[in-house]
Amino acid sequence: MDLLDKYKKAWENQPEDDQKVSKVDIYRMTKLRSSSIVKWIFIIGLMEFVLWSVLNIMISKTKYLDIYEELNMLTLLNYTYYFNLVVVIVFLYLFYKNFTSINTTDNTKSLMSKIIKTRKTVKYYMYYNIIGGVLLMIIFNIIILNTPNGIEMLMPNEAGKFADSSELVTAFLISQTIVILLMIGCLVLFYYLLYGILLRKLNKNYKDLAKLDE
Amino acid sequence: MSDSLEDKFLNDFESNQNIVHKICRIYTTNSNDHNDLFQEITIQVWKNYSKFRGDAKFSTWMYRVALNTAISLYRKSTKSVKTQDISDIAYKIKSVDYDDTEEKQLKALYNAIQKLNDIDKALVFLYLEDKSYKDISETLGISEVNARVKMNRAKDKLKKVLNP
Repeated sequence: MDLLDKYKKAWENQPEDDQKVSKVDIYRMTKLRSSSIVKWIFIIGLMEFVLWSVLNIMISKTKYLDIYEELNMLTLLNYTYYFNLVVVIVFLYLFYKNFTSINTTDNTKSLMSKIIKTRKTVKYYMYYNIIGGVLLMIIFNIIILNTPNGIEMLMPNEAGKFADSSELVTAFLISQTIVILLMIGCLVLFYYLLYGILLRKLNKNYKDLAKLDE
Repeated sequence: MSDSLEDKFLNDFESNQNIVHKICRIYTTNSNDHNDLFQEITIQVWKNYSKFRGDAKFSTWMYRVALNTAISLYRKSTKSVKTQDISDIAYKIKSVDYDDTEEKQLKALYNAIQKLNDIDKALVFLYLEDKSYKDISETLGISEVNARVKMNRAKDKLKKVLNP
């Protein structure tokens, strides 16, 4: 007799559970809200869409609008704004479509793959925003550097502190780079913590299940 | 949802809750987490109950939803401090001539399964529940051949833990 057969017999003979839950309690449980990770991915995902969209609107409506106008960047900003609006709608549609396709009655592998796909939509939205933001900043910097007195226009109070304009340009570029790097660093850390904690187990299990089929 | 669907669910779930308890016992290590997972599985089974067509046995359908919840949807609400309570659960073996050996084997088996990873737990659980490879492959979404390969590995791991 195989070692496991003995244990299997013990398994089959195990008693009905002592913790038997009554119908009343089962009924009460059905009225409670789920706290599954799918629900959290949905809530956090929606919050991210709102956050990024608000950030976009705030940036496009700041006091710098006058400077953008002076730098002839208003048309570019308007195009970016509408392009971004379309992208957000497409991402939201994909996010909603992926979310609604998650079905607990699917097989385990397919369920996990759909959860990961839903999460990835939000991740791509974040990448789009970061890459888009950095690109815009680079374009913005190129235009400023190519505009006579561009930096002085942007930082009139700072201009007097530097001996010559090349020092001002260097200071401007260094400060911009530091800000971009810090922003990306904070975001990456935040995302790793947030989704790392939320999806570590799921990713591990999915890899484990998918390993053989690859 | 209609009352009759709710009643039917309550009857089906109550009479099959033992499956859920067994799953909770292998995927959690203390009674708080056990209750949390039990609750989440109840919610998921109820939420999807209208999709249960009745062409399969309710218990077979429930294995899938319950295992999916334990493996993919459930997150422990608290950092799991291993206040292992397998030994606290009073296992009363139902055979007429009560045999304490089986009780010990059952405790050892639960302790050993808890040391496996989530997928191996599901495989071993389905094996212990006497599910066919076809059922196992359909539940987990892998081919039958891969189910066999993975099952043999999981069983080997379990044997090593049971008999180091």
